Amino acid sequence: MTTTPAAAPTNLRRVPLAKRFLTFTWLTVGLAIAILVFYTFVQPSIVVDTLVTGGMWALLAAGLALVFGVMNIPNFAHGEFFMIGSLTAFFVFSPLQDAMFNDPAGTGLLKIVAPFPGMIAALIVGFAVGAVLEVILFRPLRKRSRDQWVMNTFLLTAGVSVVLINGDRLIFGNDFRGATRYWDVRPISILGTSVSVDRIAVFVIAMVTILLFSAFLLRTRTGRAMRAVAQDEAGAQMAGISLNRIFVLTMGLSCALAALAGASLLWLYPSYPDVGLQPLYLAWYVVILAGLGNVQGAIVGAFIVSLIQTLTVTYVGLDWIDVVPTLFIILILLFKPSGLFGSEVKGVWEQ
Amino acid sequence: MATVIEETTPSRVEAKSAARRRMTFAAVLIAIAVALPLIPPFNGQDYQRLLVTGALMAAYAVAFDFTAGYIDIVNFGFAAFVGIGAYTSGLLAVDLGISPWIGMVCGALVSGFVGLLTGMLTLRLRGIYAAVMAWFVGLALMGVVRNLPDITRGSLGLSVPLLLNTSDNLPYYYLVLGILLLTLVVLMAVIRSRIGLAFRAIGQNLAAAKASGINPTRFLVINFTLSCAFAGLLGGFYAHYYGILTPDLLATSHTVEVLAVAYIGGRGTLWGPAVIAFPLMVVTGLLQAQLASLPGLELVLYGLLLILVMVFRPTGFAGLVTSAANRIWRPRTDAAETAAPTA
Repeated sequence: MTTTPAAAPTNLRRVPLAKRFLTFTWLTVGLAIAILVFYTFVQPSIVVDTLVTGGMWALLAAGLALVFGVMNIPNFAHGEFFMIGSLTAFFVFSPLQDAMFNDPAGTGLLKIVAPFPGMIAALIVGFAVGAVLEVILFRPLRKRSRDQWVMNTFLLTAGVSVVLINGDRLIFGNDFRGATRYWDVRPISILGTSVSVDRIAVFVIAMVTILLFSAFLLRTRTGRAMRAVAQDEAGAQMAGISLNRIFVLTMGLSCALAALAGASLLWLYPSYPDVGLQPLYLAWYVVILAGLGNVQGAIVGAFIVSLIQTLTVTYVGLDWIDVVPTLFIILILLFKPSGLFGSEVKGVWEQ
Repeated sequence: MATVIEETTPSRVEAKSAARRRMTFAAVLIAIAVALPLIPPFNGQDYQRLLVTGALMAAYAVAFDFTAGYIDIVNFGFAAFVGIGAYTSGLLAVDLGISPWIGMVCGALVSGFVGLLTGMLTLRLRGIYAAVMAWFVGLALMGVVRNLPDITRGSLGLSVPLLLNTSDNLPYYYLVLGILLLTLVVLMAVIRSRIGLAFRAIGQNLAAAKASGINPTRFLVINFTLSCAFAGLLGGFYAHYYGILTPDLLATSHTVEVLAVAYIGGRGTLWGPAVIAFPLMVVTGLLQAQLASLPGLELVLYGLLLILVMVFRPTGFAGLVTSAANRIWRPRTDAAETAAPTA
């Protein structure tokens, strides 16, 4: 089913350079960049907003794309790991916050590093929960049957989502648990608009994580093994890669990224049972836009979705933030049914 | 799942008796459903209300299973189509004073039409894309309903006239039971027709169906539209039973709830979801009432059941019943055959 119009690089070399970039994908990406450049001069706040939120959606979407790419699982419970991350960060950060509040003088260093334990804890908890899910749910299902795997796991994760949301409600109640801010510092002026340090930190965290993540995927042995599994499971197994290990690692990593996003955005999204819903469908917008399973595409796509969102909020209204991106994505899918970067995705598909 | 074709080719007598057993089974179930609200623990208003929600959920699950179980497209925007029907019917009644009975039919038509458009747009895509696109359409519709407070009153809620001139739950129960049976009969008839054969062919093996000359997109769209139309009809009932509509009706969580019931009941059977919905809704309703201090417990159980079904028993409740029936009425067959449906 996967026809790749311009797949082999040898074919690309024959296509003139100008023509190569005159594709729908590159036009869209180019348009997005042009809009960003335009607004840098006209209304820089749009650019800042796009980059800051885009960074976080990239974290979420990269994890979602990774799990789909490697394990063929369309994770409907991805948002719940966002929730788990923000919950963990809250429980780690709030005692520290109290300590700082009680002793404002003697905690110079703590003020700077206080948010990080929560984020690290979120990473660990997210990884653990993801790994456990792989072991207790996906592995038995994989053993039982791989028929209609994609759809079955989608429904399975829908069940996981219901359990996690309502389990949270059952244990921790319907309360909002958040922090007003991570770093109590004055906003910094960038491109003429004042940006809070939290936002910048979130962007930096997202970028650093994505860089580390890409380096892991591209440079390390384990990352290479992961990509090998994504390309061809049987082949990877023949080369001596333990599938189970890779699956546990992939699921854990993906969930850890989502949890980190939740933890870093604690000041924007206070933790409550279904806080993960919006991040979930945003991440899904991104991966559908970019093409399922394409990690690099997801990172670019995150910024495009974020740009559409920011423009929607500015020109149409906050309420339409869900409606306009949806229409846009439907439009894109009419032209490119497998997503913007779909042609580069590997083709492990049920149908 | 392996396609379980009657591999033993039972004799005509056996097939006839199996058909008779099925009819008896159906008649018993219907008799129970009709008599239930008159039997003591269930004859109070609270229980009858639970039974109404059970029957409504049963009908949702049947309409949902019609797409999910037969053509393998999971309509993640299902609740939105229920919502379209509900809002269409409600708004017609509120703004134009049209009778809810006509409104329900209009709701079904509008919902079916939106389903047709959505289907034409999304069903050319591969399974997971279609599911996710239906979800996006649902999210967009919910956003639209929420953002047009001038028309829909947004999250304040739209008050809608009731269907019957009574607050007694019993007539509503028989009405919704009638709608449930109508849904079941119509959809089962479709499944047994030639169109249904095409649905099953597509659901089991898309490539083979294409090769035998079926135009998949056309049948997928027919199926999707029909399912959405029934969702709209049920939405109309919902609107004029509860008398209040909020955009929350269109939320994804409701779709997931319907999905859970449909899969716990047994995909691709229609009757499984219809039967299991009653006990599920009654038990969860009772749990909700008893354990107000433990919010969300009933949904945790739902989710766990769904997970268990997905991982260990893909045939769900219907599969259990079928294999039990096989064990009772065909005691002499070998073990391999009795195990076949759950394999």
